[in-house]
Amino acid sequence: MIPSLLMVSIVVFLFIHLIPGDPAQIMLGDLATPEQVEQLRVEMGLDQPVAVQYGKWLKNLLSGDMGTSIFFHQPVGSVILSRAETSILLSLMTLFIIVVIGIPVGYLSSTRYGTRTDQVVSGLSMTFASIPTFWLGLNLMTIFAVKLHIFPTSGFPSIVDGGSIANLVYLILPSITLAAPNSALIIRLTRASMLDVLKEDYVRTARAKGLAEHLVNIKHVFRNSLNAVASALGFTFAALVSGTVVTETVFSLPGIGRLVVDSILRRDYPVLQGIILVIALIYMLINLLVDISYVMLDPRIQHGTGSTK
Amino acid sequence: MIGSKKALLIVLAVIMAAVFTSTVFAGGEQEEAAVVAEAPVKVMRYATIAEPPSLDQQVITSDQGTTIAQHVFEGLYTFNSKYDPVPMLVESEDISADGKVITLSLRKGVKFHNGKEMTSADVVASMDRWGEYGSRGSVLYNHVVGVTAESDYVVKMVLNDVFAPWKALLAFINGGPVIYPAEIVAAATKEPIAETDYIGTGPYRFVERNPGRHILLAKFDDYAARSEASDGYAGKREAIFDEIYFIPVPDVGTRVNGVKAGDYDYASQISGDLYEMLEDDSSITTLVNEGVIMPMMFFNSNDGIFKGNYKLRQALLACLDMDAALATAVGPESLWSANGAMMPENTSWYTKAGTDLYNIKDAAKAKAIADEAGYNGEKITFMVSSAYKIHNDIGIVFAKLMKDAGFNVDLQVYDWATLISKRGDASQWDIFFTHHGFVPDPILYSYMSDAYPGWWATDEKHEMADAFTTTIDPEKRRKVWTETQELIFEQMPIVKIGDVYNFDVHTPNLKGFGSTQLIWPKFWGCDLK
Repeated sequence: MIPSLLMVSIVVFLFIHLIPGDPAQIMLGDLATPEQVEQLRVEMGLDQPVAVQYGKWLKNLLSGDMGTSIFFHQPVGSVILSRAETSILLSLMTLFIIVVIGIPVGYLSSTRYGTRTDQVVSGLSMTFASIPTFWLGLNLMTIFAVKLHIFPTSGFPSIVDGGSIANLVYLILPSITLAAPNSALIIRLTRASMLDVLKEDYVRTARAKGLAEHLVNIKHVFRNSLNAVASALGFTFAALVSGTVVTETVFSLPGIGRLVVDSILRRDYPVLQGIILVIALIYMLINLLVDISYVMLDPRIQHGTGSTK
Repeated sequence: MIGSKKALLIVLAVIMAAVFTSTVFAGGEQEEAAVVAEAPVKVMRYATIAEPPSLDQQVITSDQGTTIAQHVFEGLYTFNSKYDPVPMLVESEDISADGKVITLSLRKGVKFHNGKEMTSADVVASMDRWGEYGSRGSVLYNHVVGVTAESDYVVKMVLNDVFAPWKALLAFINGGPVIYPAEIVAAATKEPIAETDYIGTGPYRFVERNPGRHILLAKFDDYAARSEASDGYAGKREAIFDEIYFIPVPDVGTRVNGVKAGDYDYASQISGDLYEMLEDDSSITTLVNEGVIMPMMFFNSNDGIFKGNYKLRQALLACLDMDAALATAVGPESLWSANGAMMPENTSWYTKAGTDLYNIKDAAKAKAIADEAGYNGEKITFMVSSAYKIHNDIGIVFAKLMKDAGFNVDLQVYDWATLISKRGDASQWDIFFTHHGFVPDPILYSYMSDAYPGWWATDEKHEMADAFTTTIDPEKRRKVWTETQELIFEQMPIVKIGDVYNFDVHTPNLKGFGSTQLIWPKFWGCDLK
């Protein structure tokens, strides 16, 4: 894991210094003279060679210091942490909706394969998978926030920073917006995985033994199709934590995705470096969790050998 | 194993049920839950398009920054509703007969947010830091011999020559000399001053910045207000709100919806295409911002095909249709005016001198002038930024018009950071697109500085600029400016596209604004009724 993170950090450092643009110029604005910009570059250490800047950054990182944001003038760690709260809570709520809707509906669709129910579910899930999130988000906001006044339009006041748990209300419309296309994908995936398993010999055997159809479906078909779904859920969660830029922008949520995009536009190198490292770490951890879930879901898989019993 | 899994599922379900239940209860109490849990008596919530990099006005020229910072910091002078510079922290002024020695008497009893009284030592330290490191400091300090404290409340500024715009520069808070306590500003350099040192004399004090969430200001109880009636930024500044939240809401649809739903009280920079619809909406009030935005094309005077070739620049201007470009980029005609003059029509500087080729939309004439200029289809690199819709849209319309008139245009679209990096290198471009905001004196236009990319630095320009800044009589200055505008249309360092106006929206019960909004919306003297 550490060599991978090191590799990510080097690639990121190189790439963000390769793209044109200068944080000093952006900060000082359109009217700053080249001399003024150069003066600030020197003060910020941006005049140093990239290798020297990387060395300094890595040295500080090893002592737990991710640097200071060029734009916010605050420690990178605290800037990322203040955004992580929104992203993690939003991702958890979205994942909950995806699981609650995606898996049962996918199950229903596969067990009623070829029927009117299956056709309706397939049609609806394709529709939801195709709806642009900004369109859905703005429409949900217009109906439920502006017209009906059930939810707030935008923003998310911190809970960990002394706010109320009721602030989660701010995340309901965004999580529905995010869950719509993702639930549709999980419905499709659950359905497809279950249909694959339904063709297996042991399913026929189970039926031949006279086992009730719902027991066959739950114990033999559904359980054995969960590996692919767990893997998809894991990476959906990682993607939600790290990049829901459109939804965060529409609902004005202070999340990780917007921070990444804003930091690129502002050329806020320290924040960008820190955040990409954190995202890489999240992906690796989720990968690990998905691997562990395989073992829990499928007893044939043994840890360490990668083989099946 | 199965038991623990079930337990986990049950716990998860209970948590999520609690979340949804809390939603139902919170839904009816939305106003209370908005932005802050413990709502104080009077809170104002402003949805702004973006976050500023800093509130240090001396070195930062971000408009978002100025809108917020003007509540915290004050300068020696400010602008009234006609944008004339009038005293703010200064009580009175005395100017020597030769115009080179300016003696400023400061107001007594003005307190900083740290409780200390402002004296001439603070003013001298603030002026000197701005003069050396400030965004616009060198414009004035190139003419300053020194600024000294004559007594606790008297400051003397000695100029090496007559410099007419000195007062406008002291009043211009954006990139201007706001006054900090000496102990903070004395050690400051080009790096913006830290948030912990945001100590000013304004009616609001800085409380906190929560990145991505808000910047919070609170009423300063010991504020020493001027006694004159409020007039633009001048006169009495009365803080009625206890707290003001400046909340970044990047999406324009969300800013409008937020005001309609009561989550925000004020939202700025709404797109022109929504103007007519929102004007008819009784749940929201529209307010046109009087701060003019002037989209401009800059020609490269240092390198490439336009270097020294004024005729070719004029040829390009002849083919441009400003009405089409502005209608495409901005929308309703009430938000733009095809004005080629360098200053807006409502200013005393307005003149049509030299504008013969502006907006004539004549491709045939453009071709004829280009032939005269010796143009043979060489590639013209035209850089615009996708960061601003108006730049992008006008750039696309212009590229089409230029191609139709026979110019070999290569339109290159970049993000803003890349564009401002590339334009610093004269070998990489021929034309770039940007916009300019309001200036109280034409000498403050970016193209009047030799160092600004485009690098217009001819002897004729220097002669005009010298005559302009060393003339004090307003009538004579206007005459010199008329001649300068003629020179601009002759040598064409830039093409100004027109005057564009933003509009803001607010909840109808927010009172205290005029028929139009000031350049940087201010919220002292405003109240929710």
